[in-house]
Amino acid sequence: MNESMQALIIGLSALVAMFLLIWPKGGILGLFKRITRDKKRELIEDSLKYIYNCEYNKNCLCVDELKNNLSISSDKVKNLLHSLEETDLIKTENSKYSLTSEGRSYALRIIRIHRLLERHFADQTSYKDTEWHDKAENAEHSVSFEEANRLAAKMGNPIFDPHGDPIPNEKGQIPLIEGKSLKDISAGIIVKIIHIEDEPTNIYSQLVALGISPGMQITITEKSDKRIKFIANNDECVIAPAFAENITVAELNETEQDYTGFSLLADLKPGYLATVRSISKACRGQQRRRLLDFGIVPGTKIYSDLESLGGDPAAYIVRGTKVALRKKQAREIYISDIEKEDLNG
Amino acid sequence: MDIKNSKENILNTAEKLRWEVGEDFHDNVMETIYTDAARIADIVVIKDNKKAFHLDRFIDRLVTSKWTGFPIMFLLLALVFWLTVIGANYPSGLLANIFVDFLYPVIRQYAVSFGTPLWITGLLIDGGYLALAWVVSVMLPPMAIFFPMFTILEDFGYLPRVSFNMDSLYRKVGAHGKQALTMSMGFGCNAAGVIAARVIDSPREKLIAIITNNFSLCNGRWPTQILIATIFVGTLVPAEYSGLLSASAVIFVALLGIGLSLLVSLFLSRTMLKGEPSAFSLELPPYRPPKILQTLYTSLVDRTLFVLWRAMVFAFPAGMVIWLVSNINVGNNTVAEIFIDWADPFGLFIGLNGVILLAYIIAIPANEIVIPTILMLTIMVTGIHNVGEGSGVLFELSDVNETANILKAGGWTALTGINLMLFSLMHNPCSTTIYTIYKETKSLKWTLVSTILPIAMGLTVCFFIAQIWRLLE
Amino acid sequence: MADDKCTSCPAFNRKSLKKLGINLDNTDFVVALAGNPNTGKSTVFNSLTGLRQHTGNWPGKTVARAEGAFSLNEKKYKIVDLPGTYSLLSASTDEEIARNFILFGQPDVTIVVVDATRLERNLNLTIQILEITDKAILCVNLMDEARRNKIDIDSRSLSRELGIPVILASARQGEGIPELLQSVEDVVTGRFLCNPFRLKNISSELNYAVEKLEKMLIAEFPGMPNARWVALRLLEGDQQIIDSIKNGEISSVIKQQIIPEPKVEN
Ligand SMILES: Nc1nc2c(ncn2[C@@H]2O[C@H](COP(=O)(O)OP(=O)(O)O)[C@@H](O)[C@H]2O)c(=O)[nH]1
Ligand SMILES: [Mg+2]
Repeated sequence: MNESMQALIIGLSALVAMFLLIWPKGGILGLFKRITRDKKRELIEDSLKYIYNCEYNKNCLCVDELKNNLSISSDKVKNLLHSLEETDLIKTENSKYSLTSEGRSYALRIIRIHRLLERHFADQTSYKDTEWHDKAENAEHSVSFEEANRLAAKMGNPIFDPHGDPIPNEKGQIPLIEGKSLKDISAGIIVKIIHIEDEPTNIYSQLVALGISPGMQITITEKSDKRIKFIANNDECVIAPAFAENITVAELNETEQDYTGFSLLADLKPGYLATVRSISKACRGQQRRRLLDFGIVPGTKIYSDLESLGGDPAAYIVRGTKVALRKKQAREIYISDIEKEDLNG
Repeated sequence: MDIKNSKENILNTAEKLRWEVGEDFHDNVMETIYTDAARIADIVVIKDNKKAFHLDRFIDRLVTSKWTGFPIMFLLLALVFWLTVIGANYPSGLLANIFVDFLYPVIRQYAVSFGTPLWITGLLIDGGYLALAWVVSVMLPPMAIFFPMFTILEDFGYLPRVSFNMDSLYRKVGAHGKQALTMSMGFGCNAAGVIAARVIDSPREKLIAIITNNFSLCNGRWPTQILIATIFVGTLVPAEYSGLLSASAVIFVALLGIGLSLLVSLFLSRTMLKGEPSAFSLELPPYRPPKILQTLYTSLVDRTLFVLWRAMVFAFPAGMVIWLVSNINVGNNTVAEIFIDWADPFGLFIGLNGVILLAYIIAIPANEIVIPTILMLTIMVTGIHNVGEGSGVLFELSDVNETANILKAGGWTALTGINLMLFSLMHNPCSTTIYTIYKETKSLKWTLVSTILPIAMGLTVCFFIAQIWRLLE
Repeated sequence: MADDKCTSCPAFNRKSLKKLGINLDNTDFVVALAGNPNTGKSTVFNSLTGLRQHTGNWPGKTVARAEGAFSLNEKKYKIVDLPGTYSLLSASTDEEIARNFILFGQPDVTIVVVDATRLERNLNLTIQILEITDKAILCVNLMDEARRNKIDIDSRSLSRELGIPVILASARQGEGIPELLQSVEDVVTGRFLCNPFRLKNISSELNYAVEKLEKMLIAEFPGMPNARWVALRLLEGDQQIIDSIKNGEISSVIKQQIIPEPKVEN
């Protein structure tokens, strides 16, 4: 009696202990990993990246922001900048910091690794869009440049990261992207999102929650000092101008503009025929390729044929072939010209 | 310009152009190709949209409708299982008669008459051959019935519809609808179920299907379940209800397996496999009248014999090991006895015993030989004399009561029986399956996970049940 | 099975086909079988070699590539059953195996097996294959199913559009296999000269990039028959193609393509 009670209690506590080992946030194991990282190297690489971004965006480096960005004390920032200067990674001219050519190529290497990793997390894993950046941020210091290059080769040498930023190539070349901040666009104009800044994370995750992604066309409907309204995916979104600053867009001429009055394939009822307009950029990697392989491309006629027992997935006839799509995917396919067509009659 | 440079030049130009053509390049190429494909198809395909695939559409509406879809699926799968269980009994008995009752003594006699040393006949014939014979006679008939029937359903085109219907359930646990099929296949044989996971082309869902397949009670484990349920669960109630209760207990264990496979799928997709790539695609091919004879042939060769062969390769050496551990003495005791003595405290503590633990270790090649091994070991440690064939010689008894007596003499209680049923559901896959998992995943890590996860679960569950049982007693 | 259907076709001498199973020694020609999953590739493979690859109405059966052999009119053919793919443009393992075999494995002829009831979808892969190789045959399989479902295929127009032989077949019944063999022989011996369809209207923005690369490639590797495909792959960042240009491997592909001489016997 007593013994089994004891055993039960010991057993239960062992289970709880095991549980704590992996939860929350990787539990004790995760903590151990975080503690044993090479902090010094990370700081150096992160600061180089930060300085590079400042130069790329033609802002000048302010020490305060660097401090916030790395979340370290001012003393440490001073030490850090000092040691960067000593190792010839940055230089000072009239008390302004800038990268040396070594520093720049080091920074570009890290940026390449970071963006490739983001691309990898976006296309080849099922992590959520809000996790890519953090995961890449964590992994970038432990992945070697060669490993990153192999990863790139496997992915077909991608040239943009999932936020629309170009990935520097192996030689460290990178094109300039031109675009405007969404803040500077006036109402009534149709633009294409070319980049969504992934930092700070809290703003980024709110933008992602609106369902917007690079490549998407949006129409600005209202603009004031307090807010900006635009239509994306047939949905109206409202954001503050401060948020709009984090979205880079390109204006489109008329021929480039998408047809706007589309609906979602998920809403197509069985027995109806429609024409595919586009596949959302949020559908990526293997999933996107599969849809394209099935022949779901702009202009394709698609017929909603069946629903499964649970209603999701549903089967569609595309180019004479019956394919099943889950609601989640069907929500990423835009259609128009819906008409009733009774094939079963 | 020298050669190297001009090549570099091409590659550099390509790289620059890629930035210009942008990310949508692949999309645009596909669109172009399909524009041409549609144009050509328009010219050369002559069809009447209203008439084409009329029958297909009718069947599809039938098998996916709210009213008929589920009953059809249930009946078809039930029919397959029922035919397997009913149909396998007789040929299994026949094979056992031939290989074990008839051939075994003959071969043994023959070898002895040549003056073959005892340890060789013991090792090769009592050990290797007998284990092999056992595996073949228990394993072959159900698989030879189950797989062809499954293959016919597959050939007809019905199986993708099952996946289609079941996907909503499997999606919720982060898996693919096709897992419904690999799981059903697992009820025939886990190794075959693991191979069947090839049809899942999304890496994460494939791994989930492979790792959880072991929770489908394979046909090597059904006899164990039925036997133990009859002896230990059936006898808990008055005789008139015992049949019903023991049958329910077995079905409960099988359903528990399905539940566990869903639960473990959920767990895996949320934790270990969280980041693995995942994509959903499922084509519903047109129905085609199956070609029965060809189907029989290929399913026999590709699935049944293939799996059987792998099992045989493992069974023979395992039989020798079983014989060796029960015949090699260290001091006054055999290796088996020493191990059992050593493992007994732990075994009893978690509501099993040392014999069961040893049996599961040395009978790893096939679940089919677990019960014979247990019987043989029990007799050895209890010193019962009038049954069995000797140390290291596997046997089974046709009389359930006699089996019950042996087990009870070995100290088994209702708790042992219940825990054994659970442990038989939740323990490491057989070596054939483990090997197959390695072949399919090519990853040591996932092979280890699929091996260790279920056994850890089994030991944990047995532990808790034993403690609670004793508390309530 | 195959033998009793072919009395109607005079070109085929039934005694000349010998199924050689896995006897792969000293083959004269290499035949590749490509196609979408579940179109009957393995069935065609089996009926030519006498082997029994697993077939099934379920995409994803043939995973690795399988090889077999047959001999026809004293010539020995090695035949390779490639994994079924929907496309050759992605980075998946299956597609890589198929793509690399067709490009670098240098088959003397590639049989594209397509599903007659789903021709449009299957033409996607066909068109991609025709961008890579000059020597191909289209085997429109499952014609029995097509007819049962009231679909017919105009094989002459199809052959004219694609510029390669088109055979209507029901491989499971052996229908069309003799004609297929005849075409295989015609193509490998050069009796039939393929003039394969090539993509015509790549959108203008892309065309600029593709053409520019294509010209550079042809200047560097004169006679490259599939320069546009290589250009397309470069624009998709295919590492294997990049490497093969770097180390010049791609030019060995070209030499063999221009001189379609069979590999010498013995
Ligand atoms: N009715 C019919 N069925 C066929 C024919 N050819 C193949 N099949 C069936 O189609 C299915 C797919 O064939 P398989 O050879 O495995 O295709 P693969 O995936 O391309 O290798 C199998 O069930 C075959 O029996 C045919 O000509 N007619
Ligand atoms: Mg095949």
